[in-house]
Amino acid sequence: MSAATGRLPRLTRRTRAWAAGWNRVGTQTQFYAKTITSVGDVFLYYRAELLRLIAQMGLGSGALAIVGGTVVIVAFLTITTGALAAVIGYNQFADIGVEALTGFASAYFNVRLAAPLTSGIALAATIGAGATAQLGAMRINEEIDALEVMGIRSISYLSSTRLVAGVIVVIPLYCVAVIAAFFSARVCTVVIYGQSSGVYDHYFNTFLYPMSLIWSFLLAVSMAIVIMLVHTYYGYTAAGGPAGVGEAVGRAVRSSLVAAGVLTVFISLAIYGQSGSFNLSG
Amino acid sequence: MVSFTTATKPAVALGGLFALAWEALLLIPRRPFAAREFMVQSWFVARVSLLPTLMLAMPYTVLVVFTFNILLLEFGAADFCGTTAAFATVTQVGPIVTVLVVAGAGATAMCADLGARTIREELDALRVMGVNPVQALVVPRVLAATLVAVMLSSLVITVGLAGGFFFSVFVQHVTPGAYVAGMTVLTRLPDMLLALIKAALFGLAAGLIACYKGTSVGGGPAGVGNAVNETVVYTFVALFAINIIATAVGVKVTL
Repeated sequence: MSAATGRLPRLTRRTRAWAAGWNRVGTQTQFYAKTITSVGDVFLYYRAELLRLIAQMGLGSGALAIVGGTVVIVAFLTITTGALAAVIGYNQFADIGVEALTGFASAYFNVRLAAPLTSGIALAATIGAGATAQLGAMRINEEIDALEVMGIRSISYLSSTRLVAGVIVVIPLYCVAVIAAFFSARVCTVVIYGQSSGVYDHYFNTFLYPMSLIWSFLLAVSMAIVIMLVHTYYGYTAAGGPAGVGEAVGRAVRSSLVAAGVLTVFISLAIYGQSGSFNLSG
Repeated sequence: MVSFTTATKPAVALGGLFALAWEALLLIPRRPFAAREFMVQSWFVARVSLLPTLMLAMPYTVLVVFTFNILLLEFGAADFCGTTAAFATVTQVGPIVTVLVVAGAGATAMCADLGARTIREELDALRVMGVNPVQALVVPRVLAATLVAVMLSSLVITVGLAGGFFFSVFVQHVTPGAYVAGMTVLTRLPDMLLALIKAALFGLAAGLIACYKGTSVGGGPAGVGNAVNETVVYTFVALFAINIIATAVGVKVTL
């Protein structure tokens, strides 16, 4: 890698930077393809590691395990957004005299907006960032090279197992998230704002569509796949000592949040289309 | 005895965080103020946050506008989509997206940097030389995170409103004039000020948590990775907790 000393140094440097960026996209794609195609190996060879990771992701590791792990964090975040839907929904509807529709706001916005987006954020922060930190520490301690030397396929052992574990863990986690959001919206409206529970439940049940819930599950699972892929990549390729691991975590959180946001928009546009699948105006 | 220490660990961490926060707040008006470090850190946080902020603001606003528009079209009130877009962007999406990025990009890098210094015992060296690391390192970082969060949130709101405009007008065929006219129906100056206050609170919390986790790292390189991970989790938890309280108070104040 000689410095650009020949003719046109600036142009050479630019071209090289551009080529490096292009190559990075290629390596990233290659890593993702390899991770996804080695999922079969996980079930064949690395079932014990898979179980260990599922336990660890559900309950968290280190200081996170003491506060109750990923489950509690996800539940807490969705409790706050559910309450937010109730606070904003109730007050805005009360402005035009239809606060009875708060149950509708909970059934509609929690399923379509609050629960998927919040769980995406929570997944990226908890199991995603955790995976990056673990893999990054392994990389800079040269443990990943040691795995390769021992003849273990490092991508399937470290990355594909985490991908599968993330997808398995997200299903109960998302159940907890949705229930927490519904519960907190109901408690907030009925207990704090003093609406009668019958009114709330009536509008909530009328406008809660099981099909939308199933679609939003699908959305959560696909978000988990993207988040785990991005986070394992940044952990697997971390470099630059202890500070490098931290920076890799930051970069991974940033890119996975953006990726999850874009994914949510396109999947929502694709599955819900222009219709709300409810008939308010008769 | 082990179980006792593990059980009290969260309380100890919380106490440590508040002690650091108190010390940092007391040291803000004291001289010498680390102005150079403050400039460097502000520029650093702004530089790493700018692009992700814009990338994140677009999908979130489009999603919110899309979901609300379905509802408004059902009522036959699509002309009011500017109202909901402005309300959702200013009160929720703006501050939240800002701090997700400030926490995810700025705070993690701060924590990694301070953590690496802590395990190399550079902070102890500073103390030996008679320099207070809280004054020299923590105060400028916390102030930088707060300042950048406030400035970025206005950018997020602008980008979000523009994104909502393009999506409503060109995809969902709402009249441009109706969109612009509807923007100020529900959203007034107090809401705007509240959004900026929220962003400042979030930035402050993110900076303090990052600095606390960074300066209390133990256990080598793996410890730094774990500290950064915990920074992300705790900042997001603090963010959502502050958001619900600030929103409830704001609704009472502005209505």
